[in-house]
Amino acid sequence: MIAFENAPPFAAPLRFFLTAPLFAVLAGLLVLFEGPDLFASRWMPATLAATHLITIGFMLQVMLGALIQIMPVVAGANLGHPLRVARILHAGLTLGCLLLSAGFYFSRPSLLIGAAWILGGALAVFLVAGARALIGVASTSPTIRGIKLALFGLFGLALLGVGMAFGIAGGWPLPFAGLTDLHAAWGLGAWGGILLAAVAYVVVPMFQLTPGYPAWSGWWFPPSVLGLALLWSLAVGIDAVILGRLAQAGLALAGMAFGIQTFRLQRQRRRARADVTYRYWQIGLGATLLALLQLLIVAIWPGAAELPGWSLAFGVLLVAGGYVSFIVGMLYKIIPFLAWMHLQNQGMAKVAAPNMNKLLPDLDMQRQLKAWGLTLLLLLAAIGWPDWLARPAGLALAASSGWLWLNLYGATRRYRHFGRDIDEKLAALP
Amino acid sequence: MTTIRTFMTDDHRHCDDLFAETEQAMAKNDFALAAASFSGFCTALLAHFDVEEKTLFPAFETKTGMSGGPTQVMRMEHLQMRGLLEDAKEALRTTNSEDYLGVAETLVIMMQQHNMKEENILYPMCDQHLAAESAVLIEQIEKELPAA
Repeated sequence: MIAFENAPPFAAPLRFFLTAPLFAVLAGLLVLFEGPDLFASRWMPATLAATHLITIGFMLQVMLGALIQIMPVVAGANLGHPLRVARILHAGLTLGCLLLSAGFYFSRPSLLIGAAWILGGALAVFLVAGARALIGVASTSPTIRGIKLALFGLFGLALLGVGMAFGIAGGWPLPFAGLTDLHAAWGLGAWGGILLAAVAYVVVPMFQLTPGYPAWSGWWFPPSVLGLALLWSLAVGIDAVILGRLAQAGLALAGMAFGIQTFRLQRQRRRARADVTYRYWQIGLGATLLALLQLLIVAIWPGAAELPGWSLAFGVLLVAGGYVSFIVGMLYKIIPFLAWMHLQNQGMAKVAAPNMNKLLPDLDMQRQLKAWGLTLLLLLAAIGWPDWLARPAGLALAASSGWLWLNLYGATRRYRHFGRDIDEKLAALP
Repeated sequence: MTTIRTFMTDDHRHCDDLFAETEQAMAKNDFALAAASFSGFCTALLAHFDVEEKTLFPAFETKTGMSGGPTQVMRMEHLQMRGLLEDAKEALRTTNSEDYLGVAETLVIMMQQHNMKEENILYPMCDQHLAAESAVLIEQIEKELPAA
Protein backbone atom coordinates (compact mmCIF):
# COMPACT_ATOMS: atom_id res chain seq x y z
CA MET A 1 0.00 0.00 0.00
CA ILE A 2 1.35 3.37 -0.94
CA ALA A 3 1.90 5.61 2.04
CA PHE A 4 -0.68 8.25 1.49
CA GLU A 5 -0.61 10.60 4.39
CA ASN A 6 2.72 10.40 6.08
CA ALA A 7 3.70 14.02 6.39
CA PRO A 8 6.31 14.21 9.18
CA PRO A 9 5.73 16.42 12.24
CA PHE A 10 6.17 20.17 11.59
CA ALA A 11 9.21 20.25 13.88
CA ALA A 12 11.16 18.01 11.47
CA PRO A 13 11.53 20.51 8.59
CA LEU A 14 10.98 23.66 10.62
CA ARG A 15 14.28 23.52 12.51
CA PHE A 16 16.14 23.66 9.18
CA PHE A 17 14.02 26.51 7.81
CA LEU A 18 14.51 28.66 10.89
CA THR A 19 18.27 28.06 11.17
CA ALA A 20 19.08 28.73 7.52
CA PRO A 21 18.47 32.52 7.47
CA LEU A 22 20.77 32.92 10.48
CA PHE A 23 23.66 31.50 8.45
CA ALA A 24 22.96 34.05 5.73
CA VAL A 25 23.03 36.75 8.43
CA LEU A 26 26.40 35.40 9.56
CA ALA A 27 27.68 35.50 5.97
CA GLY A 28 26.53 39.11 5.72
CA LEU A 29 28.28 40.03 8.96
CA LEU A 30 31.46 38.39 7.68
CA VAL A 31 31.31 40.48 4.50
CA LEU A 32 30.63 43.59 6.60
CA PHE A 33 33.56 42.83 8.90
CA GLU A 34 36.06 41.83 6.18
CA GLY A 35 35.09 44.55 3.72
CA PRO A 36 36.84 44.94 0.35
CA ASP A 37 39.39 42.12 0.93
CA LEU A 38 36.63 39.56 0.61
CA PHE A 39 36.04 40.66 -2.99
CA ALA A 40 39.72 40.36 -3.99
CA SER A 41 39.39 36.76 -5.25
CA ARG A 42 37.36 33.60 -4.83
CA TRP A 43 40.30 32.01 -2.99
CA MET A 44 40.42 34.45 -0.06
CA PRO A 45 39.87 32.62 3.27
CA ALA A 46 36.94 34.88 4.16
CA THR A 47 35.41 34.40 0.70
CA LEU A 48 35.55 30.61 1.04
CA ALA A 49 34.07 30.92 4.51
CA ALA A 50 31.21 33.20 3.36
CA THR A 51 30.49 30.97 0.35
CA HIS A 52 30.07 27.89 2.55
CA LEU A 53 27.99 29.76 5.10
CA ILE A 54 25.52 30.34 2.27
CA THR A 55 25.81 27.04 0.38
CA ILE A 56 25.83 24.70 3.39
CA GLY A 57 24.39 26.90 6.12
CA PHE A 58 21.54 28.28 4.05
CA MET A 59 21.02 26.22 0.90
CA LEU A 60 21.79 22.70 2.10
CA GLN A 61 19.89 23.25 5.36
CA VAL A 62 16.68 24.20 3.56
CA MET A 63 17.06 21.65 0.78
CA LEU A 64 17.47 18.74 3.18
CA GLY A 65 14.77 19.97 5.55
CA ALA A 66 12.41 20.25 2.59
CA LEU A 67 13.35 16.78 1.34
CA ILE A 68 12.48 15.27 4.73
CA GLN A 69 9.09 16.93 4.34
CA ILE A 70 8.36 16.09 0.72
CA MET A 71 9.84 12.62 0.22
CA PRO A 72 6.87 10.90 1.92
CA VAL A 73 4.36 13.21 0.24
CA VAL A 74 5.51 13.27 -3.39
CA ALA A 75 7.32 9.96 -3.58
CA GLY A 76 5.61 7.89 -0.88
CA ALA A 77 9.12 7.32 0.52
CA ASN A 78 9.01 7.20 4.30
CA LEU A 79 12.13 7.88 6.28
CA GLY A 80 12.04 5.41 9.13
CA HIS A 81 12.41 7.98 11.89
CA PRO A 82 11.98 11.43 10.32
CA LEU A 83 12.36 13.35 13.56
CA ARG A 84 15.49 11.47 14.60
CA VAL A 85 17.09 11.86 11.16
CA ALA A 86 16.16 15.55 11.21
CA ARG A 87 17.77 16.10 14.60
CA ILE A 88 21.06 14.40 13.68
CA LEU A 89 21.24 16.06 10.28
CA HIS A 90 20.37 19.49 11.56
CA ALA A 91 22.91 19.35 14.37
CA GLY A 92 25.58 18.00 12.01
CA LEU A 93 24.98 20.61 9.32
CA THR A 94 24.91 23.46 11.81
CA LEU A 95 28.04 22.50 13.71
CA GLY A 96 29.86 21.25 10.60
CA CYS A 97 29.17 24.44 8.68
CA LEU A 98 30.39 26.62 11.52
CA LEU A 99 33.60 24.58 11.87
CA LEU A 100 34.21 24.54 8.13
CA SER A 101 33.80 28.29 7.79
CA ALA A 102 35.98 28.89 10.84
CA GLY A 103 38.54 26.47 9.41
CA PHE A 104 38.69 28.43 6.14
CA TYR A 105 38.65 31.81 7.80
CA PHE A 106 41.37 31.12 10.37
CA SER A 107 43.21 28.66 8.09
CA ARG A 108 43.09 25.97 10.78
CA PRO A 109 43.52 22.41 9.40
CA SER A 110 42.15 20.81 12.58
CA LEU A 111 38.85 22.67 12.16
CA LEU A 112 38.59 21.60 8.52
CA ILE A 113 39.13 17.97 9.50
CA GLY A 114 36.55 18.20 12.28
CA ALA A 115 34.08 19.78 9.85
CA ALA A 116 34.72 17.07 7.24
CA TRP A 117 34.01 14.31 9.75
CA ILE A 118 30.87 15.94 11.07
CA LEU A 119 29.41 17.00 7.72
CA GLY A 120 30.37 13.71 6.11
CA GLY A 121 28.82 11.75 8.97
CA ALA A 122 25.58 13.76 9.02
CA LEU A 123 25.17 13.48 5.24
CA ALA A 124 25.92 9.76 5.40
CA VAL A 125 23.10 9.32 7.93
CA PHE A 126 20.72 11.20 5.65
CA LEU A 127 21.84 9.42 2.48
CA VAL A 128 21.45 6.00 4.05
CA ALA A 129 17.99 6.88 5.43
CA GLY A 130 16.99 8.44 2.11
CA ALA A 131 18.26 5.53 0.02
CA ARG A 132 16.45 3.02 2.24
CA ALA A 133 13.22 4.99 1.92
CA LEU A 134 13.50 5.28 -1.86
CA ILE A 135 14.79 1.83 -2.69
CA GLY A 136 11.38 0.19 -3.12
CA VAL A 137 9.74 3.22 -4.74
CA ALA A 138 9.20 2.95 -8.49
CA SER A 139 10.24 6.00 -10.54
CA THR A 140 6.74 6.71 -11.79
CA SER A 141 7.24 10.45 -12.16
CA PRO A 142 10.11 12.73 -13.21
CA THR A 143 10.07 14.13 -9.68
CA ILE A 144 10.66 10.77 -8.03
CA ARG A 145 13.45 9.90 -10.41
CA GLY A 146 14.87 13.41 -10.04
CA ILE A 147 15.04 13.07 -6.27
CA LYS A 148 16.83 9.74 -6.58
CA LEU A 149 19.40 11.18 -9.00
CA ALA A 150 19.80 14.31 -6.87
CA LEU A 151 20.72 12.13 -3.89
CA PHE A 152 23.41 10.57 -6.04
CA GLY A 153 24.57 14.11 -6.82
CA LEU A 154 24.66 14.88 -3.10
CA PHE A 155 26.81 11.80 -2.57
CA GLY A 156 29.30 13.01 -5.21
CA LEU A 157 29.28 16.52 -3.77
CA ALA A 158 29.95 15.25 -0.24
CA LEU A 159 32.68 12.88 -1.39
CA LEU A 160 34.52 15.68 -3.19
CA GLY A 161 33.99 18.15 -0.35
CA VAL A 162 35.18 15.81 2.38
CA GLY A 163 38.12 14.67 0.26
CA MET A 164 39.21 18.24 -0.44
CA ALA A 165 38.90 19.24 3.23
CA PHE A 166 41.25 16.40 4.19
CA GLY A 167 43.47 17.30 1.24
CA ILE A 168 43.78 20.96 2.22
CA ALA A 169 44.33 20.09 5.89
CA GLY A 170 46.92 17.44 5.08
CA GLY A 171 48.66 19.49 2.39
CA TRP A 172 48.11 16.78 -0.22
CA PRO A 173 49.35 17.69 -3.69
CA LEU A 174 45.90 17.77 -5.34
CA PRO A 175 44.89 19.91 -8.34
CA PHE A 176 42.70 22.12 -6.13
CA ALA A 177 41.61 24.64 -8.77
CA GLY A 178 40.14 21.99 -11.03
CA LEU A 179 38.66 20.04 -8.13
CA THR A 180 36.99 23.15 -6.75
CA ASP A 181 35.23 23.76 -10.06
CA LEU A 182 34.18 20.13 -10.13
CA HIS A 183 32.96 20.30 -6.52
CA ALA A 184 30.87 23.33 -7.51
CA ALA A 185 29.51 21.48 -10.56
CA TRP A 186 28.33 18.63 -8.34
CA GLY A 187 26.92 20.96 -5.72
CA LEU A 188 25.18 23.48 -7.98
CA GLY A 189 24.46 21.10 -10.87
CA ALA A 190 24.17 17.41 -10.05
CA TRP A 191 22.75 18.03 -6.57
CA GLY A 192 21.23 21.51 -6.56
CA GLY A 193 20.14 21.71 -10.19
CA ILE A 194 18.54 18.28 -10.30
CA LEU A 195 16.79 18.76 -6.97
CA LEU A 196 15.54 22.21 -8.01
CA ALA A 197 14.13 20.80 -11.24
CA ALA A 198 12.56 17.78 -9.52
CA VAL A 199 10.81 20.10 -7.08
CA ALA A 200 9.93 22.66 -9.76
CA TYR A 201 8.06 20.01 -11.76
CA VAL A 202 5.64 19.87 -8.85
CA VAL A 203 5.59 23.35 -7.34
CA VAL A 204 5.69 25.64 -10.38
CA PRO A 205 2.32 24.39 -11.70
CA MET A 206 1.01 24.08 -8.13
CA PHE A 207 1.81 27.59 -6.90
CA GLN A 208 1.14 29.56 -10.08
CA LEU A 209 -1.39 27.36 -11.92
CA THR A 210 0.88 27.09 -14.95
CA PRO A 211 0.76 24.27 -17.49
CA GLY A 212 2.92 21.31 -16.46
CA TYR A 213 6.48 20.79 -17.71
CA PRO A 214 6.52 18.65 -20.84
CA ALA A 215 7.20 15.02 -19.98
CA TRP A 216 10.31 14.73 -22.17
CA SER A 217 12.02 17.54 -20.33
CA GLY A 218 11.23 16.07 -16.92
CA TRP A 219 12.58 12.69 -17.91
CA TRP A 220 15.70 14.01 -19.68
CA PHE A 221 16.98 16.92 -17.64
CA PRO A 222 18.00 15.11 -14.42
CA PRO A 223 19.88 12.20 -16.02
CA SER A 224 21.55 14.56 -18.52
CA VAL A 225 22.87 16.80 -15.78
CA LEU A 226 24.11 13.84 -13.76
CA GLY A 227 25.72 12.34 -16.87
CA LEU A 228 27.47 15.62 -17.67
CA ALA A 229 28.76 15.95 -14.10
CA LEU A 230 30.16 12.42 -14.36
CA LEU A 231 31.71 13.30 -17.71
CA TRP A 232 33.32 16.40 -16.22
CA SER A 233 34.69 14.25 -13.37
CA LEU A 234 36.13 11.80 -15.86
CA ALA A 235 37.73 14.69 -17.73
CA VAL A 236 39.35 15.97 -14.52
CA GLY A 237 40.46 12.42 -13.67
CA ILE A 238 42.18 11.75 -16.99
CA ASP A 239 43.16 15.38 -17.50
CA ALA A 240 41.17 15.72 -20.74
CA VAL A 241 40.74 19.48 -21.06
CA ILE A 242 38.48 19.56 -24.13
CA LEU A 243 36.19 16.89 -22.71
CA GLY A 244 35.87 18.94 -19.53
CA ARG A 245 34.95 22.03 -21.52
CA LEU A 246 32.36 20.06 -23.48
CA ALA A 247 30.75 18.84 -20.26
CA GLN A 248 30.79 22.40 -18.93
CA ALA A 249 29.08 23.72 -22.07
CA GLY A 250 26.56 20.89 -21.88
CA LEU A 251 25.69 21.72 -18.29
CA ALA A 252 25.30 25.41 -19.15
CA LEU A 253 22.98 24.61 -22.07
CA ALA A 254 20.89 22.09 -20.11
CA GLY A 255 20.46 24.57 -17.28
CA MET A 256 19.55 27.37 -19.68
CA ALA A 257 16.97 25.17 -21.39
CA PHE A 258 15.38 24.41 -18.03
CA GLY A 259 15.47 28.08 -17.03
CA ILE A 260 13.92 29.33 -20.27
CA GLN A 261 11.25 26.66 -20.10
CA THR A 262 10.36 27.69 -16.54
CA PHE A 263 10.23 31.35 -17.63
CA ARG A 264 7.81 30.44 -20.40
CA LEU A 265 5.60 28.33 -18.15
CA GLN A 266 5.42 31.09 -15.58
CA ARG A 267 4.37 33.55 -18.25
CA GLN A 268 1.44 31.27 -18.99
CA ARG A 269 0.38 31.20 -15.35
CA ARG A 270 -3.33 31.54 -14.68
CA ARG A 271 -3.05 33.25 -11.34
CA ALA A 272 -3.87 36.91 -11.79
CA ARG A 273 -1.49 38.36 -9.24
CA ALA A 274 2.31 38.38 -9.47
CA ASP A 275 2.89 37.25 -5.91
CA VAL A 276 6.12 37.25 -3.92
CA THR A 277 7.02 33.68 -4.85
CA TYR A 278 6.60 34.50 -8.53
CA ARG A 279 8.80 37.59 -8.21
CA TYR A 280 11.46 35.64 -6.32
CA TRP A 281 11.49 33.03 -9.07
CA GLN A 282 11.72 35.66 -11.80
CA ILE A 283 14.78 37.14 -10.06
CA GLY A 284 16.19 33.64 -9.59
CA LEU A 285 15.70 32.69 -13.23
CA GLY A 286 17.19 35.93 -14.53
CA ALA A 287 20.28 35.62 -12.34
CA THR A 288 20.70 31.90 -13.13
CA LEU A 289 20.50 32.47 -16.86
CA LEU A 290 23.19 35.16 -16.65
CA ALA A 291 25.44 32.87 -14.59
CA LEU A 292 24.95 29.99 -17.03
CA LEU A 293 25.77 32.31 -19.93
CA GLN A 294 29.05 33.00 -18.12
CA LEU A 295 29.63 29.25 -17.79
CA LEU A 296 29.01 28.79 -21.51
CA ILE A 297 31.39 31.62 -22.39
CA VAL A 298 34.14 30.12 -20.19
CA ALA A 299 33.66 26.72 -21.82
CA ILE A 300 34.25 28.32 -25.23
CA TRP A 301 36.85 30.85 -24.12
CA PRO A 302 38.54 29.78 -20.86
CA GLY A 303 40.48 33.06 -20.67
CA ALA A 304 37.28 34.81 -19.56
CA ALA A 305 37.68 33.27 -16.11
CA GLU A 306 40.76 35.46 -15.62
CA LEU A 307 38.81 38.67 -16.13
CA PRO A 308 38.60 40.68 -12.91
CA GLY A 309 35.52 39.77 -10.88
CA TRP A 310 34.38 37.10 -13.33
CA SER A 311 34.28 34.14 -10.92
CA LEU A 312 32.84 36.21 -8.09
CA ALA A 313 30.06 37.47 -10.35
CA PHE A 314 29.29 33.89 -11.35
CA GLY A 315 29.10 32.86 -7.70
CA VAL A 316 26.94 35.81 -6.64
CA LEU A 317 24.57 35.35 -9.60
CA LEU A 318 24.11 31.60 -9.30
CA VAL A 319 24.21 31.11 -5.54
CA ALA A 320 22.68 34.29 -4.11
CA GLY A 321 20.75 35.50 -7.16
CA GLY A 322 19.60 32.06 -8.27
CA TYR A 323 19.42 29.45 -5.56
CA VAL A 324 18.75 31.65 -2.55
CA SER A 325 15.98 33.46 -4.45
CA PHE A 326 14.31 30.20 -5.55
CA ILE A 327 14.52 28.84 -2.03
CA VAL A 328 13.11 31.92 -0.30
CA GLY A 329 10.30 32.05 -2.86
CA MET A 330 9.35 28.49 -1.97
CA LEU A 331 9.76 28.94 1.80
CA TYR A 332 7.23 31.78 1.66
CA LYS A 333 4.61 29.32 0.40
CA ILE A 334 5.64 26.15 2.17
CA ILE A 335 5.91 27.45 5.73
CA PRO A 336 2.49 29.15 5.92
CA PHE A 337 0.86 26.23 4.10
CA LEU A 338 2.36 23.62 6.42
CA ALA A 339 1.40 25.73 9.41
CA TRP A 340 -2.16 26.01 8.10
CA MET A 341 -2.33 22.27 7.41
CA HIS A 342 -1.14 21.35 10.90
CA LEU A 343 -3.61 23.81 12.47
CA GLN A 344 -6.36 22.44 10.28
CA ASN A 345 -5.65 18.90 11.49
CA GLN A 346 -5.42 20.13 15.04
CA GLY A 347 -8.89 21.70 14.75
CA MET A 348 -10.33 18.30 13.74
CA ALA A 349 -12.82 19.96 11.35
CA LYS A 350 -14.52 21.55 14.35
CA VAL A 351 -12.43 24.71 14.67
CA ALA A 352 -11.29 26.52 11.52
CA ALA A 353 -7.64 27.41 10.94
CA PRO A 354 -6.67 30.99 9.98
CA ASN A 355 -5.72 31.35 6.30
CA MET A 356 -2.11 31.56 5.11
CA ASN A 357 -1.99 35.35 4.96
CA LYS A 358 -2.93 35.54 8.61
CA LEU A 359 0.05 33.33 9.41
CA LEU A 360 2.50 35.21 7.18
CA PRO A 361 1.20 38.57 5.92
CA ASP A 362 1.79 39.37 2.27
CA LEU A 363 3.08 42.85 3.02
CA ASP A 364 5.92 41.53 5.20
CA MET A 365 7.07 39.30 2.37
CA GLN A 366 6.75 42.09 -0.24
CA ARG A 367 8.99 44.37 1.78
CA GLN A 368 11.60 41.71 2.44
CA LEU A 369 11.66 40.90 -1.27
CA LYS A 370 12.61 44.52 -2.03
CA ALA A 371 15.40 44.35 0.53
CA TRP A 372 16.67 41.17 -1.10
CA GLY A 373 16.63 42.78 -4.57
CA LEU A 374 18.70 45.65 -3.21
CA THR A 375 21.09 43.17 -1.56
CA LEU A 376 21.73 41.42 -4.86
CA LEU A 377 22.41 44.68 -6.67
CA LEU A 378 24.83 45.77 -3.94
CA LEU A 379 26.65 42.42 -3.94
CA LEU A 380 27.12 42.60 -7.71
CA ALA A 381 28.18 46.24 -7.63
CA ALA A 382 30.60 45.51 -4.77
CA ILE A 383 32.55 43.25 -7.13
CA GLY A 384 33.27 46.31 -9.29
CA TRP A 385 33.71 48.83 -6.48
CA PRO A 386 34.71 46.86 -3.39
CA ASP A 387 36.21 49.82 -1.57
CA TRP A 388 32.92 51.66 -1.64
CA LEU A 389 30.34 48.93 -1.61
CA ALA A 390 31.70 45.78 0.08
CA ARG A 391 30.58 46.79 3.56
CA PRO A 392 27.17 48.15 2.52
CA ALA A 393 26.61 44.89 0.59
CA GLY A 394 27.49 42.86 3.69
CA LEU A 395 25.18 44.96 5.81
CA ALA A 396 22.37 44.53 3.26
CA LEU A 397 22.89 40.76 3.17
CA ALA A 398 22.76 40.54 6.96
CA ALA A 399 19.73 42.83 7.17
CA SER A 400 17.62 41.22 4.44
CA SER A 401 18.42 37.73 5.76
CA GLY A 402 17.59 38.83 9.29
CA TRP A 403 14.32 40.17 7.93
CA LEU A 404 13.63 36.80 6.30
CA TRP A 405 14.22 35.13 9.66
CA LEU A 406 11.85 37.56 11.36
CA ASN A 407 9.14 36.82 8.79
CA LEU A 408 9.53 33.05 9.12
CA TYR A 409 9.84 33.16 12.88
CA GLY A 410 6.77 35.39 13.02
CA ALA A 411 4.82 32.76 11.10
CA THR A 412 5.78 30.03 13.57
CA ARG A 413 5.01 32.31 16.51
CA ARG A 414 1.53 32.98 15.12
CA TYR A 415 1.18 29.27 14.39
CA ARG A 416 1.79 28.48 18.08
CA HIS A 417 -0.55 31.24 19.17
CA PHE A 418 -3.38 30.02 16.91
CA GLY A 419 -2.64 26.46 18.01
CA ARG A 420 -3.27 27.35 21.64
CA ASP A 421 -6.39 29.20 20.57
CA ILE A 422 -7.70 26.14 18.74
CA ASP A 423 -7.00 23.91 21.74
CA GLU A 424 -8.96 26.26 23.98
CA LYS A 425 -11.88 26.36 21.57
CA LEU A 426 -11.89 22.57 21.24
CA ALA A 427 -11.88 22.19 25.02
CA ALA A 428 -14.82 24.58 25.29
CA LEU A 429 -16.91 22.60 22.81
CA PRO A 430 -19.66 20.48 24.34
CA MET B 1 -9.48 4.94 -24.45
CA THR B 2 -10.63 7.25 -21.70
CA THR B 3 -9.34 6.17 -18.32
CA ILE B 4 -10.64 7.22 -14.93
CA ARG B 5 -7.36 9.08 -14.51
CA THR B 6 -7.64 11.15 -17.70
CA PHE B 7 -11.35 11.81 -17.26
CA MET B 8 -11.09 12.97 -13.66
CA THR B 9 -7.87 14.89 -14.33
CA ASP B 10 -9.66 16.82 -17.08
CA ASP B 11 -12.33 17.74 -14.58
CA HIS B 12 -9.65 19.03 -12.19
CA ARG B 13 -8.36 21.29 -14.95
CA HIS B 14 -11.88 22.48 -15.63
CA CYS B 15 -12.24 23.48 -11.96
CA ASP B 16 -8.84 25.23 -12.11
CA ASP B 17 -10.05 27.26 -15.09
CA LEU B 18 -13.10 28.45 -13.19
CA PHE B 19 -10.99 29.30 -10.16
CA ALA B 20 -8.63 31.33 -12.37
CA GLU B 21 -11.62 33.31 -13.72
CA THR B 22 -12.49 34.43 -10.19
CA GLU B 23 -8.92 35.52 -9.62
CA GLN B 24 -8.94 37.55 -12.81
CA ALA B 25 -12.13 39.28 -11.67
CA MET B 26 -10.61 39.97 -8.24
CA ALA B 27 -7.52 41.43 -9.88
CA LYS B 28 -9.84 44.00 -11.49
CA ASN B 29 -11.52 44.53 -8.11
CA ASP B 30 -14.84 43.48 -9.63
CA PHE B 31 -16.49 41.82 -6.64
CA ALA B 32 -19.80 41.18 -8.39
CA LEU B 33 -18.14 39.35 -11.27
CA ALA B 34 -15.83 37.53 -8.85
CA ALA B 35 -18.73 36.33 -6.72
CA ALA B 36 -20.62 35.13 -9.81
CA SER B 37 -17.67 33.21 -11.21
CA PHE B 38 -16.76 31.87 -7.79
CA SER B 39 -20.21 30.40 -7.44
CA GLY B 40 -19.73 28.61 -10.78
CA PHE B 41 -16.40 27.31 -9.51
CA CYS B 42 -18.02 26.10 -6.28
CA THR B 43 -20.72 24.24 -8.17
CA ALA B 44 -18.15 22.47 -10.33
CA LEU B 45 -15.83 21.61 -7.46
CA LEU B 46 -18.60 20.36 -5.17
CA ALA B 47 -20.00 18.25 -8.01
CA HIS B 48 -16.54 16.77 -8.46
CA PHE B 49 -16.33 15.94 -4.73
CA ASP B 50 -19.83 14.46 -4.80
CA VAL B 51 -19.17 12.20 -7.73
CA GLU B 52 -16.02 10.92 -6.04
CA GLU B 53 -17.61 10.41 -2.64
CA LYS B 54 -20.83 8.85 -3.90
CA THR B 55 -19.74 6.94 -6.98
CA LEU B 56 -16.00 6.53 -7.56
CA PHE B 57 -14.73 6.00 -4.01
CA PRO B 58 -17.45 3.51 -3.02
CA ALA B 59 -16.74 1.50 -6.19
CA PHE B 60 -13.05 1.47 -5.30
CA GLU B 61 -13.71 0.62 -1.67
CA THR B 62 -16.07 -2.23 -2.51
CA LYS B 63 -13.66 -3.72 -5.00
CA THR B 64 -10.50 -3.46 -2.91
CA GLY B 65 -11.95 -3.65 0.58
CA MET B 66 -9.80 -0.59 1.36
CA SER B 67 -12.04 1.89 3.11
CA GLY B 68 -9.65 3.34 5.69
CA GLY B 69 -6.90 4.12 3.18
CA PRO B 70 -6.46 6.76 0.50
CA THR B 71 -10.16 7.42 -0.02
CA GLN B 72 -10.50 8.24 3.66
CA VAL B 73 -7.73 10.85 3.38
CA MET B 74 -9.33 12.29 0.23
CA ARG B 75 -12.70 12.62 1.96
CA MET B 76 -11.04 14.44 4.82
CA GLU B 77 -9.34 16.86 2.43
CA HIS B 78 -12.65 17.44 0.65
CA LEU B 79 -14.07 18.46 4.01
CA GLN B 80 -11.20 20.91 4.54
CA MET B 81 -11.71 22.40 1.08
CA ARG B 82 -15.44 22.74 1.69
CA GLY B 83 -14.53 24.84 4.73
CA LEU B 84 -12.23 27.03 2.62
CA LEU B 85 -14.97 27.52 0.02
CA GLU B 86 -17.27 28.83 2.75
CA ASP B 87 -14.54 31.18 4.01
CA ALA B 88 -13.95 32.48 0.48
CA LYS B 89 -17.67 33.06 -0.09
CA GLU B 90 -17.87 34.98 3.14
CA ALA B 91 -14.88 37.13 2.13
CA LEU B 92 -16.50 37.87 -1.24
CA ARG B 93 -19.83 38.65 0.41
CA THR B 94 -18.23 41.17 2.76
CA THR B 95 -15.97 42.45 -0.08
CA ASN B 96 -12.89 41.79 2.04
CA SER B 97 -10.22 41.36 -0.62
CA GLU B 98 -7.41 40.70 1.85
CA ASP B 99 -9.27 37.78 3.39
CA TYR B 100 -10.21 36.50 -0.04
CA LEU B 101 -6.56 36.53 -1.19
CA GLY B 102 -5.47 34.68 1.95
CA VAL B 103 -8.15 32.02 1.58
CA ALA B 104 -7.58 31.70 -2.17
CA GLU B 105 -3.86 31.23 -1.58
CA THR B 106 -4.55 28.44 0.88
CA LEU B 107 -7.20 26.89 -1.34
CA VAL B 108 -4.93 26.81 -4.41
CA ILE B 109 -2.18 24.88 -2.67
CA MET B 110 -4.64 22.62 -0.86
CA MET B 111 -6.43 21.89 -4.12
CA GLN B 112 -3.29 21.33 -6.16
CA GLN B 113 -1.59 19.01 -3.69
CA HIS B 114 -4.86 17.10 -3.34
CA ASN B 115 -5.20 16.79 -7.13
CA MET B 116 -1.62 15.61 -7.37
CA LYS B 117 -2.25 12.76 -4.94
CA GLU B 118 -5.40 11.74 -6.78
CA GLU B 119 -3.91 12.03 -10.25
CA ASN B 120 -0.64 10.28 -9.44
CA ILE B 121 -1.73 7.71 -6.92
CA LEU B 122 -5.44 7.19 -6.40
CA TYR B 123 -6.78 7.40 -9.97
CA PRO B 124 -4.12 5.01 -11.32
CA MET B 125 -5.11 2.64 -8.50
CA CYS B 126 -8.75 3.00 -9.56
CA ASP B 127 -7.87 2.27 -13.17
CA GLN B 128 -5.94 -0.78 -12.06
CA HIS B 129 -8.60 -2.23 -9.78
CA LEU B 130 -11.68 -1.13 -11.67
CA ALA B 131 -10.50 -1.96 -15.19
CA ALA B 132 -13.50 -4.19 -15.88
CA GLU B 133 -16.16 -1.69 -14.92
CA SER B 134 -14.41 1.57 -15.82
CA ALA B 135 -16.39 2.22 -19.04
CA VAL B 136 -19.71 1.99 -17.22
CA LEU B 137 -18.36 3.93 -14.29
CA ILE B 138 -17.09 6.81 -16.43
CA GLU B 139 -20.43 6.98 -18.19
CA GLN B 140 -22.20 7.22 -14.86
CA ILE B 141 -19.79 9.88 -13.60
CA GLU B 142 -20.30 11.86 -16.78
CA LYS B 143 -24.04 11.86 -16.16
CA GLU B 144 -23.65 13.03 -12.57
CA LEU B 145 -21.33 15.92 -13.37
CA PRO B 146 -23.04 19.11 -14.56
CA ALA B 147 -22.39 19.85 -18.23
CA ALA B 148 -19.19 21.90 -18.39
